[in-house]
Amino acid sequence: MRTGIFMAALMAAMLLAPAVDAASDPGSAKLLKSTADHSQFKALQQEFNSGPEVTKACLSCHTEASKQLHKTEHWKWEYRNAQGQLLGKKTLINNFCTTPVTNEAACNICHIGYGWKDDSFDFTSEVNVDCLVCHDSTGNYRKPAGLAGNVVTKEMEFPPGSGNIIKPINLKKIAQAVGKTSRDNCGACHFYGGGGDGVKHGDMDSSLASPDKALDVHMDALGNDFACSTCHMTQGHQVPGSRYAPTAQDKGEAHLRGKAYKTNPTTCQACHGQAPHKKIAKLNDHTDKVACQTCHIPKFARGGIATKMSWDWSTAGKMGPDGKPLTIKDAKGHPIYTAIKGDFVLGENVVPEYLWFNGTVTYTLRSDKIDKGKEPVRINHFEGSAGDGKSLIWPVKIMRGKQAFDSVNKTLIVAHLAGNDDTAYWTNFNWEKAAAVGMAAVGEPFSGKVDFVKTESTWPITHMVAPAKDALRCHDCHASGGRLEKVRGVYIPGRASDHAGWLDTTGWAIAALTLLGVLGHGLARVLASRRNK
Amino acid sequence: MKGKFTLGVLTLMLSAGAMSAAQAYDGDWKRGRIYYRQVCTVCHTTELKKAIGPNERTQAEWAAFFKNDKHGKGKDTVKHFFSKQYRDSIKATNAAAAKFAAVPDNELLEDVKAFLNRSAKDGDAPAGCS
Ligand code: HEC
Repeated sequence: MRTGIFMAALMAAMLLAPAVDAASDPGSAKLLKSTADHSQFKALQQEFNSGPEVTKACLSCHTEASKQLHKTEHWKWEYRNAQGQLLGKKTLINNFCTTPVTNEAACNICHIGYGWKDDSFDFTSEVNVDCLVCHDSTGNYRKPAGLAGNVVTKEMEFPPGSGNIIKPINLKKIAQAVGKTSRDNCGACHFYGGGGDGVKHGDMDSSLASPDKALDVHMDALGNDFACSTCHMTQGHQVPGSRYAPTAQDKGEAHLRGKAYKTNPTTCQACHGQAPHKKIAKLNDHTDKVACQTCHIPKFARGGIATKMSWDWSTAGKMGPDGKPLTIKDAKGHPIYTAIKGDFVLGENVVPEYLWFNGTVTYTLRSDKIDKGKEPVRINHFEGSAGDGKSLIWPVKIMRGKQAFDSVNKTLIVAHLAGNDDTAYWTNFNWEKAAAVGMAAVGEPFSGKVDFVKTESTWPITHMVAPAKDALRCHDCHASGGRLEKVRGVYIPGRASDHAGWLDTTGWAIAALTLLGVLGHGLARVLASRRNK
Repeated sequence: MKGKFTLGVLTLMLSAGAMSAAQAYDGDWKRGRIYYRQVCTVCHTTELKKAIGPNERTQAEWAAFFKNDKHGKGKDTVKHFFSKQYRDSIKATNAAAAKFAAVPDNELLEDVKAFLNRSAKDGDAPAGCS
């Protein structure tokens, strides 16, 4: 009898044990964080043949979602900054892949919509909003290049006749497993900006999908495990912390729950406040001049993935001995030359450059006149100075390149790159044809003359925050040839440019004279006392 | 007699429980990704001097690797590297082994299988080493 009870208890304990364990372990995947199991919703228990069909099902409950998304930069690809410049992918030209315009079918897989293949796209359509690209939790959602952001639900050959088979995805399974956004969701586009993993930002690449602590203390997959949205705290689908609206200096307090704040929640101060250094309080004296990122992100591209540091389009178009477009790879197998794009310089574990930044970024727009005599043309540049009271010293990646411009009209060129047609540069390697189509599409004049100009663009370094033990030390800046050697307008004890020879000589001379005086005085007293005896 | 009967029922229930647990558990590819990179890959880069990318093998090749259960020319079983005992032995210096110290062996195995399956050469999301 007793053994019976004991056995029953044992059995119950053994069966329950895993469940209890899972519920009390926050790290366990079994702890259901959501109150809704989407697989139980009728609207999602159907076969979906296209993305918009899924969105329609989402909207049957989340009635306001698309209306909210229509107001975002993620949807509009347009943003007007404080100076009134119209920015966004829809209009800007950068010095990576330059612009998605006339390359929509390829580039717009990173638009949060379905079907933007040319300027006939309907920006008022609610079902064209892509919910899954941000809310897929299976990791299996795909938007293949060339299909204008549409998904594939039946096996297809693409491009037709290429022999390349695209596998279908199971939209039903994916829709039933939706969840909060994760690093993988945001990363599907933001890690790959500029045309490949890590290419654009330097502080964002696929190594941040599952990083360790040394790479990023906040996103550390075994520790804090921040999602992007932990800092980019989103309300009504509006994601704060855009590069187009940067906060260079945050003088506010740490954000408390329950209090309403109008300031940017993505700054370091929004959590850490104004005096974050508890052990070495002297470090807090730096925060009025130096951005946190300057010391705490000692290097970027630290996750084993190289970033592009320069890109020379002027050398594109070379064919190999076999008559096919040439590719040259470095020792690690990374392309450093491709016929379609030109020459690249890659960088890993890169020491940032440093400059004063007050939060204002000015861009060279499509219609702006550029001057080859004043190279490099600054695609964008960070404003700021030591004395304006608004600037801090920031770490940046400066992307250097050479790209196409109209040498008669003196404007940057929009070139039609991707496509199977005769005018696409990546098909026919003819700049004049590609530029004629691109410039016509955006309504800018084109003289027919293409030349190349050196350009520069500036990118803030703000992710890949290292553990405190790896932060910069005093001597990294307070020394000759230190990291901030080139930063003007501030006195940094110890660095060569703040080292005045005359001041040293004067100081030592005063010290020597003082010593001489003391010795002389002492000697005089000794002699005097002897004489008095 | 009664004792034997109880034991029989117990065995039956336990094995049924174990089976349903094994079937019910859906591999968590994200946790598998962490374990693969921070336990398997860390050792491969130190001992083998190179990482083994999930995309270096097909789904069928990975499935065969787990089925054969022979790691590195059969010196160890593959399961050995998922065992609590192995995790305990490295957890002082390995953050992933420490964090997942209490996870049942089978779950971690399923997690890594799920990760390798999706990241294989012919998987839904082929992935290299980082
Ligand atoms: C203690 C170090 C270590 C750990 C941990 C380890 N491996 Fe290995 N692995 C090796 C070494 C060494 C080899 C090469 C052995 C040889 O070929 O002689 C190897 C080879 C392999 C190979 C290629 C050869 C083969 O057996 O097919 C695969 C695949 C592999 N490991 C998978 C894994 C997986 C999956 C894990 C994690 C569950 C893992 N390894 C954990 C050291 C390790």
